Amino acid sequence: MDWPAFLPLFLTASVEWVEAFTIVLAVSLTIGWGAAMGAAAAGLGTLAALTALTGGALSLGLDLHAIQLVIGVFLLLFGVRWLAKAIARQAGLKPLHDEDAEFRETRATIGKGDWFAAWLVAYKGTLLEGLEVWLIVVAFSLHSQAWVSNGLVALLALVVVCVAGVAVHAPLRRVPENAIKFVVGAMICSFGSFWTLEALAGDVWPRGDWSLLGLALFFLAGGQALAAVLRAQSRQVAA
Amino acid sequence: MKAFAKTLFGDAWNIIGVAAIVAVAEGLTALHHAEWAVFALPAAGLGVIAWLARR
Repeated sequence: MDWPAFLPLFLTASVEWVEAFTIVLAVSLTIGWGAAMGAAAAGLGTLAALTALTGGALSLGLDLHAIQLVIGVFLLLFGVRWLAKAIARQAGLKPLHDEDAEFRETRATIGKGDWFAAWLVAYKGTLLEGLEVWLIVVAFSLHSQAWVSNGLVALLALVVVCVAGVAVHAPLRRVPENAIKFVVGAMICSFGSFWTLEALAGDVWPRGDWSLLGLALFFLAGGQALAAVLRAQSRQVAA
Repeated sequence: MKAFAKTLFGDAWNIIGVAAIVAVAEGLTALHHAEWAVFALPAAGLGVIAWLARR
């Protein structure tokens, strides 16, 4: 079990599956649960095949430092984006993600199309939201080689979201998505910074893996301070 | 395809920002000051995050 990866992986997957669930739920009201679930299953199948292919291809003895650099950069691309978005939303510069609005938009889009167009919306929604889950699973698994357990963590998040979604039979609007994105963004930025520099410069981090904790605290505290400054600035402009 | 690329890499500003972070790490390493990169890289990361959040 890859314990350091558990929390960022589970939280990332949960947020993405909540968004995918909203789309599939909206589509199911047009083409029925069976067809919508079929489209979601096809999307998940594509992601599973992608994960298996990636695992097979990348375990063929590529240079570890090269892989570490690529993964570090990918995690930075992902983490920086999530943290920046979460800060902007916390500071009031961007509206919070609204599952109800997403639900209404999806319903409006497929209301004009045919059965196959609606099926494609559910397939594409599951695939695109799941792509970020795939990225995180691949990134952590390449480092720890814990492909199966990391894949199972992503599946566990899927089960939790589906059970919660079926129980309320509505978009999961009470999930504190921005807070989760804030924490996950900080964690992913930490892993990305750590691996990028380790790939470029070797073992330079003081106290080895414990630096990850310091990095996570730095990005969390720095992000909170940044959100407070941006909020104060936007209030000054508004006043 | 465009949606896939955007999901994986983010927009152009995101790519430019991360390229700047990596350039800081690579530059300091090339100049044999990797021990400074331990502090400069997270600082550059937070700077890029601040820049992106304002956009």
